[in-house]
Amino acid sequence: MIGTVLLVAGLALLFLGGVGLLRFRGPYERLQASGVGDVGGAVLFLVGLIVHLGWSGAGPILVLLILFFVFTGPLSTHAIAKGAFVRGERPRER
Amino acid sequence: MRTYVIAALCLTAVPPLVRLWVGPTLWDRLTGAASLNVRVALALAAEAAFAGHGILLDVALAYAVLGFLGTVLVARFGERGQR
Repeated sequence: MIGTVLLVAGLALLFLGGVGLLRFRGPYERLQASGVGDVGGAVLFLVGLIVHLGWSGAGPILVLLILFFVFTGPLSTHAIAKGAFVRGERPRER
Repeated sequence: MRTYVIAALCLTAVPPLVRLWVGPTLWDRLTGAASLNVRVALALAAEAAFAGHGILLDVALAYAVLGFLGTVLVARFGERGQR
């Protein structure tokens, strides 16, 4: 039950991050939606997978995958944002 | 359950694909590619965990590592100026 709720929450967060990726205006806004939605959605989805299916089968590798996403999601977001800033993209006033 | 989860993941992979296709700058395309990598790794992990294929979990982990390396590599490459 609670595993299903976590799975659905993770999928909803991934989908909302995708909607932000489509609808936002500039590269930095899209990067923010994508970064937050990806890391949060992936962690919720994998925790839901562990809770839903039990620890015995795929638990340890899924925890490894969660740790990997938590550590490398902000790193890749920062790499893209730094590249965009160095190449002259500026956040737009509106 | 398994079919619905995989289908929902495929549905969430559509917006990054569109952003990868139409993104005006290199950074938008790179954001879409990184987002798509996360969804593919999640789909591999979900398929492995639901079907009980232990080997696919290792494939998902290796895919996540290679996707991260590719994202950082392309970002550094574009940062230095070769388009």
